[in-house]
Amino acid sequence: MTDEALSVAVIGAGVVGGRVARQLANDGRNVLVFDRRSNVRRSLAAHPGVTEIVDLSDLDPLTTPVVVVATTADQADLVAAFIDHGHHVVSTSDDVDDVRRLRHFGPRAETRCVSVVIGAAACPGLTGLLARELSLRVDVLDEIHVAFHGTGGPECARQHHRALAGSALGWHDGEWLNRQGGSGRDLLWFPEPIGGKDCYRAALVDPILLHDVFPEVSRISARMSANRRDRLTARLPMLSPPHPEGGLGAVRVEIRGSKRGERVNEVAGVTERTGMIAAAVAAATAEAILRRIAEGTAPVGRILLGDDVLENASLVDDVIRRGIPVFEYVGAES
Amino acid sequence: MLRRAFGALIVAVIVAGGLRLRGTGGVPPQRGGWRELTRPPS
Repeated sequence: MTDEALSVAVIGAGVVGGRVARQLANDGRNVLVFDRRSNVRRSLAAHPGVTEIVDLSDLDPLTTPVVVVATTADQADLVAAFIDHGHHVVSTSDDVDDVRRLRHFGPRAETRCVSVVIGAAACPGLTGLLARELSLRVDVLDEIHVAFHGTGGPECARQHHRALAGSALGWHDGEWLNRQGGSGRDLLWFPEPIGGKDCYRAALVDPILLHDVFPEVSRISARMSANRRDRLTARLPMLSPPHPEGGLGAVRVEIRGSKRGERVNEVAGVTERTGMIAAAVAAATAEAILRRIAEGTAPVGRILLGDDVLENASLVDDVIRRGIPVFEYVGAES
Repeated sequence: MLRRAFGALIVAVIVAGGLRLRGTGGVPPQRGGWRELTRPPS
């Protein structure tokens, strides 16, 4: 079967899923879309190359080997079902508990000779790709610190609201530290026009996945931007309904290490609508797996972005091609 | 005595809360900037 003959299924047609479907359709893929909301599903199916499906049991792993799961939190059960059915799965989940469950799906996927990509979104996802990209610039990688600004769709906004009140995991000199979300203010610079934002520890999943990818790194942290109102109301229900689209978001990855005995800091980041960043990463990942399947070298088992299963440079190139320019910070003394 | 201690505690909480919420961040970088990512030759 040729590469182009393979279809992709996208489950969830929200801010991220809808964009993944359109991007893959624009690549010439036949995209099958499922969403419980029939009006959303039909609206997306009006895009050329996108077809709606109403029953997930219609999906055939032979013709639709890759499924992108872009539903709201708690994707683990759905991902497990697709793996058991013989599909390669790309998950966009950024929920800590959900990702903790997904991390254990590697053996399950190996049994079915398929792969499961965990955290293929902005944060996590792009953070792993950029950390790997920057890691090539040092001889010894000591620290990875990621920061995130903005939200995608409404569910993403609720997730980030909870994250600021949750327990923030950080890897510090060989042990996991649980710090209070909303603590540890750090003024961090994102690519323009976002600029400087106060960022705080939060219940983000990045340290867990980055530690899996870079077990040798001694310090890993994740922060998200917040203002005073966010921090004051973090433990309350959301006072105002989240914006349906989210605004301009940003991702920043900083690595610290050494090269030829000298200390080195490298910083990379992107600024774009958060949903677009997540969709570009998920679509690029799905394309990479489809290409591998067509070449007869389908990946098997658990995949984390930034590890050596998928070619990192190609993924970063594809994300850039999808309209997400990546920047690096230069010129300042570290 | 207890009332004064309680009053002092309330004042301390208000001042600490104000400092926590109104404190400023770090110092902005004085030079440097963002440019498109350059890739090392493969």
